[in-house]
Amino acid sequence: MAHLRTEGICKNFGGVRALHNVDFSCARGEIHALLGANGSGKSTLSKIITGVVAADRGTVYINNRAAAIHGPNDMFAQGISAVYQELSLIPQLTVAENILLGQEPTRLGGINSKAAWKRAAEVLQTIAAKLDSEIPLHVPVRSLSSAEQQLVEIAKALAREPEILILDEATASLREKEVQVVFEEVRRLREQGCTVIFISHRLEEVFDLCERATVLRNGEVVATVNLAETTEQDLLRHMLGEVASVDSLSVPAPQDRVVLEVKELSSASSFQRINFQLRAGEILGLGGLQGQGQSEVIQAIYGARPYTGRILFEGQEVQIHKPAAAINSGIVLVPGDRHVEGLALQRSVLENVTLPSVAHRSRFGLLKMGREEEVTAGVVERLQVKVADVHLPVNTLSGGNQQKAVIGKWLLTQSKVMLLDDPTKGVDVQARLEIYRSVEELCSQGVSFLLSSSDNKELIALCHRVLVMYEGQIVAELAGEELTEENLVAASMRITPGVKGVS
Amino acid sequence: MEERRALEPTFKERAERHAPLLMSVVVFVLIVAVNRFLQPNFFNRFVIRSNITTFLPLIMAAIGQTMVVLTGNIDLSLGSIITVVNVVIITLFGKMPEATGLQLAIPILVGVLVGLLAGTVNGFLIAKLRLQAVIATFASNLFWMGLALAVLPVPGGSVPWDLSSFYRSWFLGLPMSVWFLLLVMVFWALLRRTRLIRYFYAVGGNASNAYRSGIRVEWILIGAYALCGFFAGLSGLALTLDISSGDPLVGHPLTLSSITAVVIGGTLLSGGSGSPIGSILGACILGLVRNIIFFANVPPFYQDFIFGVVVIIALIVSSLGARRRTA
Repeated sequence: MAHLRTEGICKNFGGVRALHNVDFSCARGEIHALLGANGSGKSTLSKIITGVVAADRGTVYINNRAAAIHGPNDMFAQGISAVYQELSLIPQLTVAENILLGQEPTRLGGINSKAAWKRAAEVLQTIAAKLDSEIPLHVPVRSLSSAEQQLVEIAKALAREPEILILDEATASLREKEVQVVFEEVRRLREQGCTVIFISHRLEEVFDLCERATVLRNGEVVATVNLAETTEQDLLRHMLGEVASVDSLSVPAPQDRVVLEVKELSSASSFQRINFQLRAGEILGLGGLQGQGQSEVIQAIYGARPYTGRILFEGQEVQIHKPAAAINSGIVLVPGDRHVEGLALQRSVLENVTLPSVAHRSRFGLLKMGREEEVTAGVVERLQVKVADVHLPVNTLSGGNQQKAVIGKWLLTQSKVMLLDDPTKGVDVQARLEIYRSVEELCSQGVSFLLSSSDNKELIALCHRVLVMYEGQIVAELAGEELTEENLVAASMRITPGVKGVS
Repeated sequence: MEERRALEPTFKERAERHAPLLMSVVVFVLIVAVNRFLQPNFFNRFVIRSNITTFLPLIMAAIGQTMVVLTGNIDLSLGSIITVVNVVIITLFGKMPEATGLQLAIPILVGVLVGLLAGTVNGFLIAKLRLQAVIATFASNLFWMGLALAVLPVPGGSVPWDLSSFYRSWFLGLPMSVWFLLLVMVFWALLRRTRLIRYFYAVGGNASNAYRSGIRVEWILIGAYALCGFFAGLSGLALTLDISSGDPLVGHPLTLSSITAVVIGGTLLSGGSGSPIGSILGACILGLVRNIIFFANVPPFYQDFIFGVVVIIALIVSSLGARRRTA
């Protein structure tokens, strides 16, 4: 009998299909991996099981009974505990307080601190005892290293004594030795009948720990396999499926002149020793699985994240320690989350587009409205932004046109390098193509792009070259003939390529 | 991890954890010293009684404000709730002129309950209707202000003689106002061991992570505002016993003073760290600075100016502890 089972789960996010008729099942006492490329829906599925996201249709069954899980408390009541890469710790509270948060033992209406301390120590021991260094219970968790925080997070999940444990990239910040300690504990739990769902981008961990794996692709279950009888290449084939040919855009070849060069760029634990050159009119991609340091590299070059190493702009070394410095050099950012970073949504298209460049056009601090309308109209024309009146608030535009407005505002500052951080996230297909055309157009005028994208098709369609990142390092560079979806996925998962002829 | 860490808190770790509180203790001691220098009878028991009695309404208000600030919120209606409590108590005393003994407790209980209820209403506005704390409590501030005016349009009334003489009496060598304060501190000592208070810190530290940990954040917020209202009730009581009359505008200045006291006491407005003990010190510091300005013979026209400058200095000094910690 299946311990945990889902039936016909469907989920759309604003017209984009995330999950479609997902039937997934794991037996009691099984360690089951959930695999898939970016955007395959594995995170959405785990969030539906834990009640973070509500399914549009379909049912989650636990012990063959339909389970209504609408929030963390329902989840705990069903015996489910989850660990996400994104921690749920309270930085100011101590390790002990965090481990038992939400389930402190009480006595006479107050927290029984002695019992709480003992219980927290006991839970932490199951993991920390086998490590070289001990984690003190009394310190606030913000004073711990990220690996230690991750271990505390795992201990916190174990303190709930779950029957179903979901580990979603829970080992990402751990080193080999710590991973093994966690695995030992997970295996011990399995012996006690605990069911574990394991999500990890490290395939070797999947093969090490799990018995079976379910592979998702484009929101559908494509295979459930016995890992003992499966190779990495098989998994790759399942994740990839039939490779549809991508309409390549006619992006003109880049010039020889190098505009931006980074040397040995590193930033704490996010990324290490990144080297590349970006030429005039070149579109350079940063690919790989989500969260391998791509966004962080872009933030560093934009001055929004401290870094070590050197950044050379047009041959000159530049110190970029805040975004204003980047913008002054002509390096600008088009963020994926334009609602947060890119636009003042309630203000008009005109105000948004002209904002960064008003200083160039003002006289004695005053602006000529006619001139402002003129330059805005120019941008709207050039990028084909669909807007009835430039005085309308920017949030009346569609997602794609909003993104064009962001690109447009930087056009007016004569920027030379545009950093695109997942620019088409949540944008429909048509608008996507229009954004691509804008990029193509600017590229032919000599503007260079550094494009981080979780969408492999986008990278293939737009980029001259793609650097694939894995755990903060560049592990492959793909260009020309080699730039295929198959090679991209293989490189992102560090699978040895060599599965020619995927049909 | 080359350096082995102690598994028990070391002296240095304790000191670092309490750095903001230590800073306000330092400021407090300095201010007391200056006050003593300017006012030789500062440690006279009648002077102490008078000081504590005067500071008590702000002390209670600051403790209440701390409850909501710990969760990362704020209460801009606190002063008006205190006013409502004041006019309710005075009006009830006016309606029962023959009351003696335990009957005198009825207006007091009703007054404190009104504070608790008012706080709960604030909590609902913020937690259930999802209004922003600053706006919601600013709006409810107007509401409580209007309510106080409706209950008692002009200042007046009085506290029965029995009660006000009881409040000025001594018990075991300590004035009643000091017993009042000690009682509240004991209450806090018990309260801080509850899950509710632990969850104030958790919600203020990171509300969405607290939610993910199974904490019912909405109810915790309502609890924080209810508790804040309860302390506003105690503040209104202390104020009424001190001024012995009703005034529909009396509590107003306590709102911003209570926030200032909370910050001087080392509690971060962003939530998640601090303690009402610091706020008690903060409230005393504000009161003592007023004393110092009076005894230093500052000309009346400059008193507010000097007060403002000293408060800014106190804020800077107490924020040093917090800043060192985040650095």
